[in-house]
Amino acid sequence: MAAPMTLVNLSFALSLASLAVYAAGYVLSRPRLARAAPWTLALAWAALTAGLGVRWSAMGRPPLANQYESLLTLIWCLLPLAFYFRRRTGKEEIVPVAALAACLFFGGAALLDRTVRPLMPALRSNWLIVHVLSSMAAYAAFSLAAAAAAWTLLRRGEAEDFLLRLTKAGFAFLTLGIVTGSIWAETAWGAWWSWDPKETWSLLTWLAYAAALHLRLKGVKGRYFAMILLLCFVMVLFTYFGVNFLLSGMHSYA
Amino acid sequence: MPKFLASLRLFFVLCALLAAVFVWQTLFHRGVPVYGTPWFAALGLLLAANIAACSLKRGLKAPAGHLLLHAGLVVVIAGAFVSRAHRFEAQLPLHTGRPADIAYHGGDSFRLPFTVSLEEFNIDYYREPRGRLVLDEGGHRRVFAAREGLVVRPASGGTVKVLRTVRDFGITSKSEVVEKSRYWLNPAVQLLVSAGGHERRLWIFSHFPGMHRGRLPFEVYYPLEQAEIRAFRSLVALRSADGTTRQGEVAVNRPLKFGDYSLYQTGYDPADAGYSLLTVTRDRGVWVVYSGFILILLGVLLWLRR
Repeated sequence: MAAPMTLVNLSFALSLASLAVYAAGYVLSRPRLARAAPWTLALAWAALTAGLGVRWSAMGRPPLANQYESLLTLIWCLLPLAFYFRRRTGKEEIVPVAALAACLFFGGAALLDRTVRPLMPALRSNWLIVHVLSSMAAYAAFSLAAAAAAWTLLRRGEAEDFLLRLTKAGFAFLTLGIVTGSIWAETAWGAWWSWDPKETWSLLTWLAYAAALHLRLKGVKGRYFAMILLLCFVMVLFTYFGVNFLLSGMHSYA
Repeated sequence: MPKFLASLRLFFVLCALLAAVFVWQTLFHRGVPVYGTPWFAALGLLLAANIAACSLKRGLKAPAGHLLLHAGLVVVIAGAFVSRAHRFEAQLPLHTGRPADIAYHGGDSFRLPFTVSLEEFNIDYYREPRGRLVLDEGGHRRVFAAREGLVVRPASGGTVKVLRTVRDFGITSKSEVVEKSRYWLNPAVQLLVSAGGHERRLWIFSHFPGMHRGRLPFEVYYPLEQAEIRAFRSLVALRSADGTTRQGEVAVNRPLKFGDYSLYQTGYDPADAGYSLLTVTRDRGVWVVYSGFILILLGVLLWLRR
Protein backbone atom coordinates (compact mmCIF):
# COMPACT_ATOMS: atom_id res chain seq x y z
CA MET A 1 0.00 0.00 0.00
CA ALA A 2 3.00 2.30 -0.51
CA ALA A 3 1.80 3.81 -3.81
CA PRO A 4 -1.54 5.19 -2.53
CA MET A 5 0.18 6.64 0.56
CA THR A 6 2.82 8.34 -1.62
CA LEU A 7 0.10 9.84 -3.82
CA VAL A 8 -1.90 11.03 -0.80
CA ASN A 9 1.24 12.59 0.71
CA LEU A 10 1.98 14.22 -2.66
CA SER A 11 -1.55 15.63 -2.69
CA PHE A 12 -1.01 17.01 0.84
CA ALA A 13 2.30 18.60 -0.24
CA LEU A 14 0.70 20.15 -3.35
CA SER A 15 -2.16 21.59 -1.25
CA LEU A 16 0.40 23.16 1.07
CA ALA A 17 2.32 24.43 -1.98
CA SER A 18 -0.87 25.95 -3.41
CA LEU A 19 -1.45 27.80 -0.14
CA ALA A 20 2.18 28.96 -0.03
CA VAL A 21 2.13 30.14 -3.66
CA TYR A 22 -1.06 32.15 -3.08
CA ALA A 23 0.34 33.65 0.14
CA ALA A 24 3.64 34.54 -1.57
CA GLY A 25 1.79 36.17 -4.49
CA TYR A 26 -0.36 38.17 -2.06
CA VAL A 27 2.52 39.28 0.21
CA LEU A 28 4.91 40.12 -2.66
CA SER A 29 2.08 41.71 -4.71
CA ARG A 30 2.80 39.35 -7.61
CA PRO A 31 -0.58 38.42 -9.11
CA ARG A 32 1.09 36.11 -11.68
CA LEU A 33 2.54 34.03 -8.82
CA ALA A 34 -0.85 33.80 -7.11
CA ARG A 35 -2.35 32.60 -10.40
CA ALA A 36 -0.30 29.39 -10.08
CA ALA A 37 -2.21 28.46 -6.89
CA PRO A 38 -5.33 27.00 -8.63
CA TRP A 39 -3.14 24.89 -10.92
CA THR A 40 -1.17 23.54 -7.97
CA LEU A 41 -4.43 22.74 -6.18
CA ALA A 42 -5.77 21.02 -9.31
CA LEU A 43 -2.62 18.86 -9.34
CA ALA A 44 -3.26 18.05 -5.65
CA TRP A 45 -6.75 16.85 -6.59
CA ALA A 46 -5.36 14.74 -9.45
CA ALA A 47 -2.81 13.12 -7.10
CA LEU A 48 -5.55 12.42 -4.54
CA THR A 49 -7.80 10.95 -7.24
CA ALA A 50 -4.98 8.67 -8.32
CA GLY A 51 -4.23 7.72 -4.69
CA LEU A 52 -7.86 6.84 -3.97
CA GLY A 53 -8.12 5.00 -7.28
CA VAL A 54 -5.04 2.87 -6.59
CA ARG A 55 -6.27 2.19 -3.04
CA TRP A 56 -9.70 1.14 -4.44
CA SER A 57 -8.07 -1.13 -7.00
CA ALA A 58 -5.67 -2.70 -4.48
CA MET A 59 -8.36 -3.34 -1.87
CA GLY A 60 -11.07 -4.41 -4.30
CA ARG A 61 -13.57 -2.13 -2.56
CA PRO A 62 -14.32 1.60 -2.49
CA PRO A 63 -12.12 3.54 -0.04
CA LEU A 64 -15.08 4.57 2.13
CA ALA A 65 -14.98 2.10 5.00
CA ASN A 66 -13.40 4.05 7.85
CA GLN A 67 -12.86 7.61 8.97
CA TYR A 68 -9.44 7.94 7.34
CA GLU A 69 -10.82 6.96 3.94
CA SER A 70 -13.97 9.07 4.33
CA LEU A 71 -11.84 12.11 5.25
CA LEU A 72 -9.80 11.68 2.06
CA THR A 73 -13.11 11.42 0.16
CA LEU A 74 -14.25 14.64 1.85
CA ILE A 75 -11.14 16.43 0.52
CA TRP A 76 -11.73 14.82 -2.89
CA CYS A 77 -15.25 16.38 -2.91
CA LEU A 78 -14.08 19.71 -1.48
CA LEU A 79 -11.62 20.66 -4.21
CA PRO A 80 -13.95 20.33 -7.26
CA LEU A 81 -16.68 22.15 -5.29
CA ALA A 82 -14.20 24.99 -4.71
CA PHE A 83 -13.31 25.13 -8.42
CA TYR A 84 -16.99 25.09 -9.39
CA PHE A 85 -17.83 28.00 -7.09
CA ARG A 86 -14.69 29.90 -8.15
CA ARG A 87 -15.85 29.63 -11.75
CA ARG A 88 -19.44 30.58 -10.90
CA THR A 89 -18.59 33.55 -8.66
CA GLY A 90 -15.20 34.63 -10.01
CA LYS A 91 -13.85 34.89 -6.44
CA GLU A 92 -10.16 33.92 -6.41
CA GLU A 93 -10.11 33.75 -2.59
CA ILE A 94 -11.92 30.41 -2.78
CA VAL A 95 -8.66 28.73 -3.85
CA PRO A 96 -6.60 29.50 -0.70
CA VAL A 97 -9.67 28.86 1.45
CA ALA A 98 -10.06 25.39 -0.11
CA ALA A 99 -6.31 24.73 0.09
CA LEU A 100 -6.30 25.65 3.79
CA ALA A 101 -9.31 23.43 4.50
CA ALA A 102 -7.70 20.55 2.55
CA CYS A 103 -4.43 20.93 4.50
CA LEU A 104 -6.29 20.88 7.83
CA PHE A 105 -8.19 17.73 6.80
CA PHE A 106 -5.02 16.06 5.50
CA GLY A 107 -3.42 16.85 8.88
CA GLY A 108 -6.42 15.33 10.66
CA ALA A 109 -6.31 12.25 8.42
CA ALA A 110 -2.64 11.70 9.32
CA LEU A 111 -3.72 11.16 12.95
CA LEU A 112 -6.26 8.46 12.08
CA ASP A 113 -5.87 4.70 11.76
CA ARG A 114 -4.76 3.90 8.19
CA THR A 115 -4.86 0.12 8.52
CA VAL A 116 -6.27 -1.50 5.39
CA ARG A 117 -9.02 -3.99 6.22
CA PRO A 118 -11.61 -5.73 4.09
CA LEU A 119 -15.21 -4.52 4.33
CA MET A 120 -17.07 -5.81 7.38
CA PRO A 121 -20.39 -7.55 6.59
CA ALA A 122 -22.48 -4.52 7.62
CA LEU A 123 -20.74 -2.32 5.02
CA ARG A 124 -21.02 -4.75 2.12
CA SER A 125 -23.81 -2.92 0.32
CA ASN A 126 -24.31 -0.86 -2.83
CA TRP A 127 -25.66 1.92 -0.59
CA LEU A 128 -22.16 2.50 0.82
CA ILE A 129 -20.97 4.58 -2.13
CA VAL A 130 -24.00 6.86 -2.49
CA HIS A 131 -24.52 7.31 1.28
CA VAL A 132 -20.90 8.09 2.19
CA LEU A 133 -20.23 10.12 -0.95
CA SER A 134 -23.30 12.34 -0.45
CA SER A 135 -22.51 12.80 3.25
CA MET A 136 -18.88 13.73 2.50
CA ALA A 137 -19.98 16.08 -0.29
CA ALA A 138 -22.28 17.77 2.25
CA TYR A 139 -19.48 18.12 4.80
CA ALA A 140 -17.18 19.46 2.05
CA ALA A 141 -19.71 22.14 1.07
CA PHE A 142 -20.30 23.06 4.73
CA SER A 143 -16.51 23.23 5.31
CA LEU A 144 -16.11 25.63 2.40
CA ALA A 145 -19.11 27.65 3.61
CA ALA A 146 -17.60 27.85 7.12
CA ALA A 147 -14.18 28.86 5.75
CA ALA A 148 -15.82 31.48 3.54
CA ALA A 149 -17.90 32.69 6.50
CA ALA A 150 -14.72 33.07 8.59
CA TRP A 151 -13.11 34.92 5.66
CA THR A 152 -16.15 37.23 5.47
CA LEU A 153 -15.92 38.00 9.18
CA LEU A 154 -12.14 38.58 9.13
CA ARG A 155 -11.97 40.63 5.93
CA ARG A 156 -15.36 42.32 6.46
CA GLY A 157 -16.03 41.35 2.88
CA GLU A 158 -19.24 40.41 1.10
CA ALA A 159 -19.75 36.79 0.19
CA GLU A 160 -23.50 36.66 0.68
CA ASP A 161 -24.59 34.85 -2.49
CA PHE A 162 -21.61 32.50 -2.35
CA LEU A 163 -22.33 31.53 1.26
CA LEU A 164 -25.97 30.86 0.48
CA ARG A 165 -25.18 28.74 -2.58
CA LEU A 166 -22.66 26.62 -0.68
CA THR A 167 -25.07 26.16 2.23
CA LYS A 168 -27.85 25.12 -0.15
CA ALA A 169 -25.53 22.64 -1.89
CA GLY A 170 -24.44 21.18 1.47
CA PHE A 171 -28.04 20.98 2.68
CA ALA A 172 -29.10 19.12 -0.49
CA PHE A 173 -26.23 16.61 -0.16
CA LEU A 174 -26.91 16.14 3.56
CA THR A 175 -30.59 15.46 2.80
CA LEU A 176 -29.53 12.85 0.24
CA GLY A 177 -27.05 11.36 2.75
CA ILE A 178 -29.71 11.06 5.47
CA VAL A 179 -32.33 9.61 3.10
CA THR A 180 -29.96 7.01 1.59
CA GLY A 181 -28.62 6.15 5.06
CA SER A 182 -32.16 5.62 6.27
CA ILE A 183 -33.03 3.29 3.37
CA TRP A 184 -29.78 1.39 3.91
CA ALA A 185 -30.50 1.10 7.66
CA GLU A 186 -33.89 -0.46 6.84
CA THR A 187 -32.11 -3.07 4.68
CA ALA A 188 -29.29 -3.79 7.09
CA TRP A 189 -30.80 -3.38 10.56
CA GLY A 190 -34.54 -3.60 9.89
CA ALA A 191 -35.27 -0.06 11.05
CA TRP A 192 -35.22 3.08 8.91
CA TRP A 193 -34.44 5.15 11.99
CA SER A 194 -32.88 3.87 15.24
CA TRP A 195 -31.91 7.10 17.02
CA ASP A 196 -28.29 6.00 16.84
CA PRO A 197 -26.06 8.96 17.97
CA LYS A 198 -24.77 9.47 14.40
CA GLU A 199 -28.31 9.57 13.03
CA THR A 200 -29.46 11.89 15.80
CA TRP A 201 -26.58 14.32 15.29
CA SER A 202 -27.04 14.25 11.52
CA LEU A 203 -30.68 15.21 12.04
CA LEU A 204 -29.58 17.92 14.48
CA THR A 205 -27.13 19.29 11.88
CA TRP A 206 -29.84 19.16 9.22
CA LEU A 207 -32.26 21.07 11.50
CA ALA A 208 -29.54 23.64 12.27
CA TYR A 209 -28.91 24.37 8.58
CA ALA A 210 -32.68 24.35 7.88
CA ALA A 211 -33.09 26.96 10.61
CA ALA A 212 -30.13 28.97 9.19
CA LEU A 213 -31.69 28.98 5.71
CA HIS A 214 -35.07 30.06 7.15
CA LEU A 215 -33.38 32.80 9.21
CA ARG A 216 -31.88 34.12 6.03
CA LEU A 217 -35.37 34.17 4.50
CA LYS A 218 -36.37 36.34 7.47
CA GLY A 219 -33.63 38.80 6.53
CA VAL A 220 -30.64 37.67 8.61
CA LYS A 221 -27.68 38.44 6.32
CA GLY A 222 -24.05 39.52 6.28
CA ARG A 223 -21.98 39.01 9.41
CA TYR A 224 -24.88 37.46 11.38
CA PHE A 225 -25.48 34.83 8.70
CA ALA A 226 -21.74 34.11 8.59
CA MET A 227 -21.67 33.65 12.38
CA ILE A 228 -24.68 31.30 12.22
CA LEU A 229 -22.91 29.20 9.56
CA LEU A 230 -19.84 28.92 11.78
CA LEU A 231 -22.05 27.73 14.65
CA CYS A 232 -23.72 25.19 12.35
CA PHE A 233 -20.28 23.95 11.27
CA VAL A 234 -19.44 23.16 14.91
CA MET A 235 -22.31 20.65 14.71
CA VAL A 236 -20.90 19.19 11.48
CA LEU A 237 -17.55 18.70 13.23
CA PHE A 238 -19.20 17.06 16.21
CA THR A 239 -21.33 14.82 14.00
CA TYR A 240 -18.31 13.73 11.98
CA PHE A 241 -15.57 13.52 14.63
CA GLY A 242 -17.13 13.98 18.08
CA VAL A 243 -19.76 11.26 17.76
CA ASN A 244 -17.11 8.73 16.64
CA PHE A 245 -14.74 9.46 19.49
CA LEU A 246 -17.14 10.26 22.33
CA LEU A 247 -20.32 8.26 21.71
CA SER A 248 -20.80 4.61 20.93
CA GLY A 249 -23.34 3.42 18.40
CA MET A 250 -24.00 1.47 15.25
CA HIS A 251 -21.78 3.84 13.21
CA SER A 252 -18.64 2.94 15.19
CA TYR A 253 -16.63 2.29 11.98
CA ALA A 254 -17.51 5.67 10.38
CA MET B 1 -54.24 29.44 16.56
CA PRO B 2 -53.64 28.92 12.79
CA LYS B 3 -51.45 32.07 12.82
CA PHE B 4 -49.42 30.65 15.71
CA LEU B 5 -49.08 27.29 13.94
CA ALA B 6 -48.02 28.91 10.66
CA SER B 7 -45.29 31.07 12.16
CA LEU B 8 -41.59 30.70 11.45
CA ARG B 9 -40.98 31.71 15.06
CA LEU B 10 -42.63 28.46 16.17
CA PHE B 11 -40.35 26.56 13.78
CA PHE B 12 -37.25 28.15 15.36
CA VAL B 13 -38.53 27.37 18.88
CA LEU B 14 -39.21 23.73 17.89
CA CYS B 15 -35.74 23.42 16.32
CA ALA B 16 -34.17 24.77 19.53
CA LEU B 17 -36.25 22.42 21.70
CA LEU B 18 -35.41 19.38 19.54
CA ALA B 19 -31.72 20.34 19.53
CA ALA B 20 -31.76 20.58 23.34
CA VAL B 21 -33.46 17.17 23.60
CA PHE B 22 -30.98 15.53 21.20
CA VAL B 23 -27.94 16.99 22.99
CA TRP B 24 -29.29 16.00 26.40
CA GLN B 25 -30.24 12.50 25.24
CA THR B 26 -26.96 11.69 23.47
CA LEU B 27 -24.50 13.37 25.85
CA PHE B 28 -26.02 13.40 29.32
CA HIS B 29 -28.99 11.04 29.61
CA ARG B 30 -28.29 7.45 30.67
CA GLY B 31 -31.65 5.77 30.89
CA VAL B 32 -34.59 4.78 28.75
CA PRO B 33 -34.39 7.00 25.61
CA VAL B 34 -36.85 9.87 25.54
CA TYR B 35 -37.84 9.23 21.92
CA GLY B 36 -40.69 6.93 22.99
CA THR B 37 -42.27 9.39 25.42
CA PRO B 38 -45.62 11.12 24.71
CA TRP B 39 -44.08 14.60 25.06
CA PHE B 40 -41.47 13.82 22.38
CA ALA B 41 -44.28 12.56 20.11
CA ALA B 42 -46.12 15.83 20.81
CA LEU B 43 -43.03 17.78 19.68
CA GLY B 44 -42.97 15.78 16.41
CA LEU B 45 -46.68 16.33 15.89
CA LEU B 46 -46.31 20.07 16.50
CA LEU B 47 -43.39 20.23 14.03
CA ALA B 48 -45.46 18.45 11.34
CA ALA B 49 -48.41 20.80 12.01
CA ASN B 50 -46.09 23.82 11.84
CA ILE B 51 -44.55 22.73 8.52
CA ALA B 52 -47.99 21.93 7.04
CA ALA B 53 -49.49 25.22 8.26
CA CYS B 54 -46.56 27.27 6.88
CA SER B 55 -46.91 25.55 3.49
CA LEU B 56 -50.70 26.02 3.43
CA LYS B 57 -50.26 29.70 4.33
CA ARG B 58 -48.07 30.22 1.28
CA GLY B 59 -50.43 28.05 -0.74
CA LEU B 60 -49.85 27.52 -4.43
CA LYS B 61 -47.90 30.79 -4.64
CA ALA B 62 -44.91 28.93 -3.22
CA PRO B 63 -42.45 27.34 -5.67
CA ALA B 64 -43.08 23.65 -6.41
CA GLY B 65 -39.74 22.68 -4.83
CA HIS B 66 -40.71 24.24 -1.51
CA LEU B 67 -44.13 22.61 -1.54
CA LEU B 68 -42.75 19.14 -2.33
CA LEU B 69 -39.96 19.40 0.25
CA HIS B 70 -42.30 20.50 3.03
CA ALA B 71 -45.02 18.01 2.04
CA GLY B 72 -42.35 15.27 2.07
CA LEU B 73 -41.32 16.22 5.61
CA VAL B 74 -44.93 16.04 6.82
CA VAL B 75 -45.35 12.63 5.14
CA VAL B 76 -42.12 11.31 6.76
CA ILE B 77 -43.30 12.43 10.21
CA ALA B 78 -46.72 10.84 9.50
CA GLY B 79 -44.91 7.62 8.52
CA ALA B 80 -42.93 7.77 11.76
CA PHE B 81 -46.22 7.86 13.68
CA VAL B 82 -47.61 4.90 11.67
CA SER B 83 -44.38 2.99 12.47
CA ARG B 84 -44.64 3.98 16.12
CA ALA B 85 -48.19 2.69 16.37
CA HIS B 86 -48.01 -0.48 14.26
CA ARG B 87 -44.38 -1.53 14.03
CA PHE B 88 -43.50 -5.01 15.23
CA GLU B 89 -39.90 -5.92 16.01
CA ALA B 90 -38.62 -8.92 17.94
CA GLN B 91 -35.58 -11.17 18.15
CA LEU B 92 -35.86 -14.75 16.94
CA PRO B 93 -33.17 -17.10 18.29
CA LEU B 94 -32.67 -20.18 16.10
CA HIS B 95 -30.87 -23.48 16.58
CA THR B 96 -30.29 -25.92 13.73
CA GLY B 97 -32.92 -28.64 13.61
CA ARG B 98 -35.29 -26.90 16.05
CA PRO B 99 -38.17 -25.02 14.33
CA ALA B 100 -39.07 -21.85 16.22
CA ASP B 101 -42.01 -19.46 16.17
CA ILE B 102 -41.47 -17.52 19.41
CA ALA B 103 -39.78 -14.15 19.14
CA TYR B 104 -38.74 -11.93 22.02
CA HIS B 105 -38.70 -8.19 22.63
CA GLY B 106 -37.65 -6.84 26.00
CA GLY B 107 -39.24 -9.16 28.53
CA ASP B 108 -42.15 -10.12 26.26
CA SER B 109 -42.52 -13.07 23.91
CA PHE B 110 -44.62 -13.23 20.73
CA ARG B 111 -45.86 -16.18 18.69
CA LEU B 112 -45.20 -15.56 15.00
CA PRO B 113 -47.77 -16.66 12.37
CA PHE B 114 -45.08 -18.90 10.86
CA THR B 115 -42.30 -21.21 11.99
CA VAL B 116 -38.65 -20.81 11.05
CA SER B 117 -36.15 -23.66 10.88
CA LEU B 118 -32.43 -22.95 10.70
CA GLU B 119 -31.11 -25.43 8.15
CA GLU B 120 -27.56 -24.12 8.09
CA PHE B 121 -25.57 -21.21 9.44
CA ASN B 122 -22.52 -20.14 7.44
CA ILE B 123 -19.63 -17.80 8.10
CA ASP B 124 -17.68 -16.69 5.02
CA TYR B 125 -14.13 -15.41 5.39
CA TYR B 126 -12.35 -13.25 2.83
CA ARG B 127 -9.50 -15.76 2.92
CA GLU B 128 -8.92 -18.88 4.99
CA PRO B 129 -7.55 -17.66 8.36
CA ARG B 130 -4.04 -18.77 9.37
CA GLY B 131 -2.94 -19.77 12.86
CA ARG B 132 0.46 -18.53 14.06
CA LEU B 133 2.61 -19.96 16.83
CA VAL B 134 4.33 -17.15 18.73
CA LEU B 135 7.18 -17.90 21.14
CA ASP B 136 8.12 -15.02 23.43
CA GLU B 137 11.33 -15.48 25.42
CA GLY B 138 11.96 -12.39 27.56
CA GLY B 139 10.68 -10.02 24.87
CA HIS B 140 12.36 -11.84 21.98
CA ARG B 141 9.44 -12.99 19.81
CA ARG B 142 9.55 -15.59 17.08
CA VAL B 143 6.54 -16.30 14.85
CA PHE B 144 5.90 -19.58 12.97
CA ALA B 145 3.11 -20.87 10.74
CA ALA B 146 1.34 -23.33 13.07
CA ARG B 147 1.20 -26.51 11.00
CA GLU B 148 1.00 -29.98 12.48
CA GLY B 149 4.48 -31.53 12.93
CA LEU B 150 6.29 -28.20 13.30
CA VAL B 151 9.15 -28.39 15.82
CA VAL B 152 10.54 -25.24 17.44
CA ARG B 153 13.60 -25.09 19.70
CA PRO B 154 13.36 -22.42 22.42
CA ALA B 155 16.62 -20.72 23.51
CA SER B 156 16.06 -22.07 27.06
CA GLY B 157 16.42 -25.62 25.69
CA GLY B 158 14.08 -28.48 24.81
CA THR B 159 11.55 -28.53 21.97
CA VAL B 160 8.01 -27.42 21.26
CA LYS B 161 6.14 -29.57 18.76
CA VAL B 162 2.76 -28.82 17.20
CA LEU B 163 0.64 -31.96 17.57
CA ARG B 164 -2.74 -30.74 16.35
CA THR B 165 -4.64 -27.63 15.34
CA VAL B 166 -8.43 -27.20 15.54
CA ARG B 167 -10.59 -24.37 14.25
CA ASP B 168 -13.45 -24.74 16.73
CA PHE B 169 -12.33 -26.53 19.89
CA GLY B 170 -14.82 -28.85 21.51
CA ILE B 171 -14.63 -31.72 23.97
CA THR B 172 -16.88 -34.79 24.18
CA SER B 173 -18.22 -36.51 27.28
CA LYS B 174 -15.38 -39.02 26.80
CA SER B 175 -12.84 -36.15 27.03
CA GLU B 176 -11.98 -36.42 23.34
CA VAL B 177 -11.10 -33.19 21.57
CA VAL B 178 -13.21 -32.64 18.47
CA GLU B 179 -13.65 -29.88 15.93
CA LYS B 180 -17.19 -28.59 16.59
CA SER B 181 -17.49 -26.75 13.29
CA ARG B 182 -15.45 -25.73 10.28
CA TYR B 183 -15.46 -22.10 11.44
CA TRP B 184 -12.64 -20.42 13.35
CA LEU B 185 -14.80 -19.79 16.41
CA ASN B 186 -12.51 -21.22 19.11
CA PRO B 187 -9.12 -21.94 17.49
CA ALA B 188 -6.61 -23.93 19.50
CA VAL B 189 -3.27 -25.66 19.00
CA GLN B 190 -2.03 -28.71 20.92
CA LEU B 191 1.68 -28.57 21.77
CA LEU B 192 4.13 -31.15 23.07
CA VAL B 193 6.65 -29.29 25.22
CA SER B 194 9.80 -31.30 26.00
CA ALA B 195 12.41 -29.98 28.44
CA GLY B 196 14.79 -31.61 30.95
CA GLY B 197 13.55 -35.11 30.14
CA HIS B 198 9.91 -34.15 30.85
CA GLU B 199 7.10 -33.91 28.32
CA ARG B 200 3.89 -31.94 28.65
CA ARG B 201 0.91 -31.72 26.33
CA LEU B 202 -0.86 -28.34 26.36
CA TRP B 203 -3.74 -26.77 24.49
CA ILE B 204 -3.14 -23.11 23.66
CA PHE B 205 -6.26 -21.11 22.75
CA SER B 206 -6.37 -18.02 20.52
CA HIS B 207 -9.09 -16.40 22.61
CA PHE B 208 -7.56 -17.21 26.03
CA PRO B 209 -3.88 -16.25 25.64
CA GLY B 210 -3.08 -16.08 29.37
CA MET B 211 -4.28 -19.60 30.21
CA HIS B 212 -0.85 -21.21 30.79
CA ARG B 213 1.05 -18.06 31.75
CA GLY B 214 3.87 -18.78 34.24
CA ARG B 215 3.77 -22.56 33.76
CA LEU B 216 6.46 -22.55 31.04
CA PRO B 217 9.91 -20.86 30.90
CA PHE B 218 8.60 -18.86 27.91
CA GLU B 219 5.30 -17.33 26.73
CA VAL B 220 3.47 -19.04 23.89
CA TYR B 221 0.51 -17.68 21.93
CA TYR B 222 -1.69 -18.83 19.05
CA PRO B 223 -3.02 -15.71 17.27
CA LEU B 224 -4.96 -15.76 14.01
CA GLU B 225 -4.14 -13.83 10.86
CA GLN B 226 -6.55 -12.71 8.11
CA ALA B 227 -9.61 -13.83 10.09
CA GLU B 228 -11.81 -11.05 8.68
CA ILE B 229 -15.38 -12.21 8.18
CA ARG B 230 -17.01 -11.46 4.84
CA ALA B 231 -20.60 -12.46 5.60
CA PHE B 232 -22.92 -14.30 7.98
CA ARG B 233 -25.62 -16.33 6.29
CA SER B 234 -28.55 -18.29 7.69
CA LEU B 235 -30.28 -20.77 5.41
CA VAL B 236 -33.83 -21.00 6.75
CA ALA B 237 -37.08 -22.78 5.90
CA LEU B 238 -40.31 -20.94 6.69
CA ARG B 239 -43.77 -22.46 7.05
CA SER B 240 -46.91 -20.43 7.66
CA ALA B 241 -50.10 -21.63 9.38
CA ASP B 242 -51.88 -21.99 6.00
CA GLY B 243 -49.15 -24.34 4.79
CA THR B 244 -47.20 -21.87 2.63
CA THR B 245 -43.53 -22.79 2.69
CA ARG B 246 -40.42 -21.03 1.56
CA GLN B 247 -36.72 -21.60 1.78
CA GLY B 248 -34.30 -18.73 1.65
CA GLU B 249 -31.14 -17.16 2.91
CA VAL B 250 -30.86 -14.30 5.38
CA ALA B 251 -27.61 -12.34 5.46
CA VAL B 252 -26.46 -8.94 6.69
CA ASN B 253 -27.78 -6.40 4.15
CA ARG B 254 -29.92 -9.12 2.56
CA PRO B 255 -33.17 -9.53 4.51
CA LEU B 256 -35.73 -12.18 3.63
CA LYS B 257 -39.38 -11.21 3.07
CA PHE B 258 -42.16 -13.58 4.11
CA GLY B 259 -45.65 -12.14 3.83
CA ASP B 260 -45.77 -8.87 5.77
CA TYR B 261 -42.67 -9.81 7.73
CA SER B 262 -38.96 -9.26 7.09
CA LEU B 263 -36.19 -11.34 8.63
CA TYR B 264 -32.75 -9.80 9.27
CA GLN B 265 -29.47 -11.46 10.21
CA THR B 266 -28.59 -9.93 13.58
CA GLY B 267 -26.07 -12.10 15.38
CA TYR B 268 -24.48 -15.45 16.03
CA ASP B 269 -22.80 -17.21 18.92
CA PRO B 270 -19.01 -17.65 18.67
CA ALA B 271 -19.39 -20.65 20.98
CA ASP B 272 -22.08 -22.37 18.90
CA ALA B 273 -21.96 -22.65 15.10
CA GLY B 274 -25.52 -24.05 15.10
CA TYR B 275 -27.05 -20.86 16.46
CA SER B 276 -28.23 -17.75 14.65
CA LEU B 277 -30.11 -14.70 15.88
CA LEU B 278 -32.59 -13.07 13.50
CA THR B 279 -34.66 -9.91 13.90
CA VAL B 280 -38.24 -10.13 12.68
CA THR B 281 -40.01 -6.91 11.75
CA ARG B 282 -43.30 -5.80 10.27
CA ASP B 283 -43.55 -2.08 9.56
CA ARG B 284 -46.38 -0.67 7.44
CA GLY B 285 -45.16 2.86 8.07
CA VAL B 286 -41.97 2.34 6.08
CA TRP B 287 -43.73 2.83 2.72
CA VAL B 288 -45.28 6.08 3.95
CA VAL B 289 -41.77 7.20 4.98
CA TYR B 290 -40.31 6.20 1.60
CA SER B 291 -43.06 8.19 -0.18
CA GLY B 292 -42.02 11.16 1.94
CA PHE B 293 -38.37 10.62 0.99
CA ILE B 294 -39.27 10.71 -2.72
CA LEU B 295 -41.17 13.98 -2.24
CA ILE B 296 -38.26 15.48 -0.25
CA LEU B 297 -35.65 14.53 -2.85
CA LEU B 298 -37.80 15.87 -5.70
CA GLY B 299 -38.39 19.04 -3.70
CA VAL B 300 -34.66 19.52 -3.00
CA LEU B 301 -33.87 19.00 -6.69
CA LEU B 302 -36.38 21.66 -7.78
CA TRP B 303 -35.31 23.99 -4.95
CA LEU B 304 -31.66 23.78 -6.08
CA ARG B 305 -32.58 24.61 -9.68
CA ARG B 306 -34.02 27.98 -8.64
